[in-house]
Order: sequence, then structure tokens, then C-alpha cells
Amino acid sequence: MTTTGPGLPRLGTTLFSLTLEQRRPGRDLRSLVAEVAARDLGPGLEMVAFQSLRGWPRLDDAAVAEVRDVVEGSGLVPSCLAINNDLGQYPGRLLSDDESHDYVAVQLRGAAALGFPVTRVGVETSPAILERLLPLAESLGIAVGVEIHAPLTIDAPPVAALKELFTRLDTPLLGFIPDMSSSMRAVPAAVHDAHRAAGIDPQVTAVAEQLWAEPGATAEKFPELERRAAAAGATPAQVGNLKMLFTMHGRMAPERWAEFFPHVVHVHGKFYGVEQGPDGLTDPSIDWPAVARVLVEQGYTGFISSEYEAHAYSDRHSAFDQLRAQHDMLAGLFAAQTPVAAR
Amino acid sequence: MGPLDDQVVRADALTATPDGLDIAVHSHWYRALPLPSLARVDLTVDGQRVDPATLAVTVNGHRYAFAELAERGDEYWFTTDPVVLHTPVATGTGREHRVQLLLGLSIPYILTGPDRVPLVAPSSTDKTLTATGARP
Repeated sequence: MTTTGPGLPRLGTTLFSLTLEQRRPGRDLRSLVAEVAARDLGPGLEMVAFQSLRGWPRLDDAAVAEVRDVVEGSGLVPSCLAINNDLGQYPGRLLSDDESHDYVAVQLRGAAALGFPVTRVGVETSPAILERLLPLAESLGIAVGVEIHAPLTIDAPPVAALKELFTRLDTPLLGFIPDMSSSMRAVPAAVHDAHRAAGIDPQVTAVAEQLWAEPGATAEKFPELERRAAAAGATPAQVGNLKMLFTMHGRMAPERWAEFFPHVVHVHGKFYGVEQGPDGLTDPSIDWPAVARVLVEQGYTGFISSEYEAHAYSDRHSAFDQLRAQHDMLAGLFAAQTPVAAR
Repeated sequence: MGPLDDQVVRADALTATPDGLDIAVHSHWYRALPLPSLARVDLTVDGQRVDPATLAVTVNGHRYAFAELAERGDEYWFTTDPVVLHTPVATGTGREHRVQLLLGLSIPYILTGPDRVPLVAPSSTDKTLTATGARP
């Protein structure tokens, strides 16, 4: 079993990692969950409700019973249900605050009915809506976490507003969900596969990567990206693809995740590829030793969901194999740390 | 720009019907989306553009005119289900067609720019495929 010791973060998997696997003939929720369990990729189980649950956000009683049966039968532990605040659900307008609140509230009730202790929303869910949702979260005993995903960093204004809210309310039911996309040290190799497939000249990709690695805020780099990419021969559509590289992969120093504590309710172990290096398993684009140090130093004992996302770029690697490799790598890193409680 | 793009129009996507060519389309997004998210369907068959106003779309067992989708924000297109575009393009079993599709999915939770407009995620297809006969 790839379990971690007491006082350490617990491992898990989000079914989002299996986005391509989900599309294979004969696959369903039960078979995906069963395979996660059989491959010892728990104990935590996360899923994206709108991805995995037909009928969401309004599951009938039979569907709730079916999902509970799938999860309980697997022996995995529900860790987090990713829900969405679809502000642009209707064309030409955004949901009002009341609609937004109600849309998320329905999903909180649904997540609680399924037995999930934590839900994930995005930063589009405003501090005011989160504060309004707190009484419901308290009555359901479910936490609401705001995912901090690239291009967000600790320095982004919406993050400062959330930190102020979480500090003021100081409740374990509202907090952050760090996603390692915000703190990457290199552009993943899978991006090269996708760019080649899209006909983007490797030299153009190299120009964008070089700019990505330079200091400065992501949004401020776009005009320079357009200039350099056009000079290197990129088409406007290709510039759009190159911009994704900047919005999907952030460059915050991983040590700065410490500044999100103590208001962290869950962690996304986002990654794009773990490989065998000279010193064992390593991730070229994410500094996991630094991340593991922060989590252990902060006394974090919640789940870290392994979230393989290279499938958005490439199907070259098996997601199951990649999850295995990341679990083994993380288990080794955590085992090498002394839990704060034991010091 | 990823593996799901190649699955938007699969090898068995074309069906010949007495009313025209049906094209099964899968989503290149990872999660279910409200029906208005099917915001842009730029379709060209055998070099002829197909006016969206002439399209009907079957999703969740219901057939809608393309414009009606915009009014169905409370209904969702599930991750693994195809939608079927019903086109008036004349066809027959065994006929080959070149299908060029620019599918633009409006992503309701990713808002962009100062006006907070939903991101439109494009996927481009250009395939020549053979229509099979409609199932009885």
C-alpha cells in the first residue's frame, strides 16, 4: 500500500487524471473507480462532478445511491468533489449573485449527499458568495475550497481578497486548494508534443518558453509574446496556443504555498510527467521536494489528489502509470520528512 | 490542441439519412457543458458552408433547431455523449464527404478580459469520411 505515515499528507487521485481513459469504449464511473482502487492509487478519491456524474447538478436519489455504492464498494475515501460556478451558463449575461449562490448551494447539497467532505470551486466564486454559503456549509458539515490554479499566485488581487476573508472568518470550512500549476519550474515536455501536432514550429515554441522563464507577471508578458512570436513566424491562432502556455503554467516559487496556510482545505497534486532520473523518480516541471517540505512543515494532513493533466496535450503516456509514478515519488518524499507533530 | 480534438468527429461519425447527412460530434472539453456552450459550429461539407440556421441538433434524445440551444442553459451535454448535427447535405450510404468543422465551446466558468466574457475553446477538424446507412 502506498500510504503515508501519521502526521503526513495523505495520497489520492482525481478522476480528472483519467479524462482520456473515460472516453474509451466500455468505461464507466464504476470501472474507473475500481481500477484506481485496484492499482492502489488512493486512498483519497476526487472527481469533477460535471465530468463524472451524469445528471449533475441534480442527481435523483437512485443516482446518489449508485455513486455512493461505487465509491464505498471501492474502499476509497471521498476526498473532494470539484464543482463549478457556471457564471456564463446563459448566453449574453452572467449569473446574478443570487443565481450564483443558488447554483453553488445546490451542488454543496449534492456533494454532501454523496459523502464528500470538501468541494472545490474556482476563483470566479466571489468572497461575498463564499461568505453567504458558509451557514449552509456549516449545516452540511462540508468545506468549500477555492482552487488556486495558474495563472493565479499569492500576489494576485483575488487571492489577497480571499485570504482576508478566510482570515476574518477563520473557519475550517472555507479555504484554499493549492494547485501546483501555479508553481512550475519548467514548461512540461508534453507541450512540445501538442505544439508539434498543431504544426507550431519548435523555434516558435522555444521563443515562448524563453519568455515564460523570464521574470515578470504573466499578463504583462502577452504583448511581448505577440511581438516575439509574430517575428518568429507564428500565426494568430498559434499565438493563441502559445498564450495557453502562460495561463496554464505559473512560475510562483513553491515555498510561497506556505503563505496560504493555515487556510488550506485540500491540495491538488497537479503534474504533467514524472520520470526516472539519476536519483530516482523526478518531475522536471514541478519541484516536489520543495512542495513536500512546505506541506509537512505546515502540518498538512489532508489529501493531495494526484492530478495528471498532460492528457490535455498528449496521449503518449499511460495516465495510470503516471499516477503510480507520482504516488511512489510523493510517498518517498513524505517518508523522508519528519511530521511536525513528532518533532 | 490535444488528443480529444481528434475525437470530435470520429471515423464512424457520418450517417446518411433520407433528410441529409448526420454528423456525430463529441466534445473536446473534459466536463459536461450547458447546451448554449455549443456556441459556434462553423461547418463546411465538401467545400460548401452549412448555414447554422439550417442545422438541427439532437442532444439527450431531443432534437432542437441550432438557435434553440441558446435557450437551454439548464440542460447539459454530458462528457461522453455525442451530439448529432442534422445537415441538409444530400448523401447516401457509402458516400465520402470532406467535413471541416470549427467547433467553439463557450466555457461558462472561465471568464476572460475586463468584460468577463466566457472563454470560447476552439477545436478544428478536417477529415474525409464515409457515411454509413441509418440504423433501422
